[in-house]
Amino acid sequence: MLVTRTLYQSRTDKALSWVFVLPVILILLATAFIPLGWGLYLSFFRYKLNLPSATAFIGLKNYLDIFSDELTLRSLRNNAVFAGLSVSVELLVGIVLAMILSDDRRFSRVLVSILMVPMIIAPVVAGTLWRMMLDRTYGVVNYLLSFLGVPGISWIGDPKIALYTIVLVDAWQFIPFVAVLVLSSIKAMPRSFLDAARVDGASPWKVFWSIILPVTSPVIIIVAMLRFIDAFKVFDTIFVMTGGGPGNATEMLPTYIYRQGIKFLNIGYSSATAVLFVILMSAIALVFQRLRDRQLLRIG
Amino acid sequence: MARHAAGAIRRDQQLSTFLGRPVKYVVIAVLLAIILFPLYWLVSNSFKPEQEYYHKPPIMVPIHPTTQNFVDIVVNRGLFTGLKNSLLIAVFTTLCTVLFGSLASYALVNGVLPRRLKHVFAWWFLIQKMYPAIVVAVPVFYIIRSLQLMDRVAALVLMNTSFNLPLVILLMVGFYQEAPFEVEEQSMLDGCNLLQRWFYITTPMVRAGMIATGMLTFVASWNEFLYAVILTIVRAKPLTVLIAGFITDKALVWGPMAAMGCVVVLPVVVIMWAMQRDFVSGVSAGALKG
Repeated sequence: MLVTRTLYQSRTDKALSWVFVLPVILILLATAFIPLGWGLYLSFFRYKLNLPSATAFIGLKNYLDIFSDELTLRSLRNNAVFAGLSVSVELLVGIVLAMILSDDRRFSRVLVSILMVPMIIAPVVAGTLWRMMLDRTYGVVNYLLSFLGVPGISWIGDPKIALYTIVLVDAWQFIPFVAVLVLSSIKAMPRSFLDAARVDGASPWKVFWSIILPVTSPVIIIVAMLRFIDAFKVFDTIFVMTGGGPGNATEMLPTYIYRQGIKFLNIGYSSATAVLFVILMSAIALVFQRLRDRQLLRIG
Repeated sequence: MARHAAGAIRRDQQLSTFLGRPVKYVVIAVLLAIILFPLYWLVSNSFKPEQEYYHKPPIMVPIHPTTQNFVDIVVNRGLFTGLKNSLLIAVFTTLCTVLFGSLASYALVNGVLPRRLKHVFAWWFLIQKMYPAIVVAVPVFYIIRSLQLMDRVAALVLMNTSFNLPLVILLMVGFYQEAPFEVEEQSMLDGCNLLQRWFYITTPMVRAGMIATGMLTFVASWNEFLYAVILTIVRAKPLTVLIAGFITDKALVWGPMAAMGCVVVLPVVVIMWAMQRDFVSGVSAGALKG
């Protein structure tokens, strides 16, 4: 009796299990797997929506074109500079901040909730807000800097500066992100580690370098990876702050793919750029994964 | 006693001694100013009349505060339509993501599924974290167009659900794994099938985590911009697209723009402060898992 019942049950459960995962599978198929596959397929065609008659299979030509396209290479370079710079700044300042906050019991709860604000507001709003503040003539930043004798900086209009301006805004949003995560990992650390070091008379710097940094480094590596990958995906901030300009000074891969695909309807080429982008991201993630594994080995 | 001694060590010899107390407070004050000033600027500009937000030198505190900017975005910028769209997108995305996500993660933990499927899911979450949303923008654009979903809220609900599902499933699998299995086992022997167990037994136990993931999803879809700008034309524009619209205009009108910014930011900040602890742990779990 019991046997048949469990058998019956497991059959129902088996069917139900599939019903449970079905919606997710369908959604992912429609919005991720099929589009990815289709994008890969389109990347082998000359396909311009405004010139449908010229559609033709051209093999790898789109990919080859990428490497002779000044603009794609420029976007890639901008993107790499932006990601490298913003992640370094965010990590450096974020970790220092986490260290400063780590022993503070009086304010840290309040401070953490204030720290959370920049990272949760919409990047579009952060972008517009900073654009307002960084206006050359009416902006409050130049006004405040004028007290320090700094002449009016053209934050957004100067092609030499615009990229760094975006880094600044990104840093404002995400230094808190790094700080909050590193802070929580410092707090999760067994106190005995620190106490033992204290008893042995280690200097604070020594404690930082030989205890806190090694123990929190897995978290730091993951945070670095997330920020690095997200920095490559930057779109909203650029869209509202510079639109990729002035000239192409802040054009990056996402904005470039957007322009080629959605604005110029150059579907084939934009798809090829997108495919290369995925490959690049996977390579980066792989490097970080390696770093992390090695790190875990060393500690564990 | 031992505890006491440890406490004393903790109090006396803190990490920050390597910076010193005054330095620490200076750093904290500067930090607060840098974080808070832009937010103050957003709020104060939203209450300034035109001659004050375009003033050289900038006016720090509104002299003649006005609500004119808010009236302006209601009348000229379709604030209520945008608000309605943003709310619909965020609410329905949250409902879909939490419902489908919890079903799927429950089945992955307690259901009868081939091992291989679980691997596919785990593998997919990694991939999804890596590829930028823009990469599928062009194909998605055509899929949505052929489904006649262009400029409809439903399209954005679909896309946002897709983007948020991996994180939600990742977190919820963790919650279901932590739920005591004995209860699950007992109800299985009592003859509850998978659906009953999911609905009556196990999901109520993970409700707190579920709400936290729901909030993360709400905030993410409320803030989403890329697909909102690609898949909407007029009717379905959410607030994020409306505020970006100020930029593409010839003349930047800062007052109304700031007012719109306040409307976008306020709900998110309220949610975050209301459930700060869950939020911090949610963000860190989301970031650090996987």
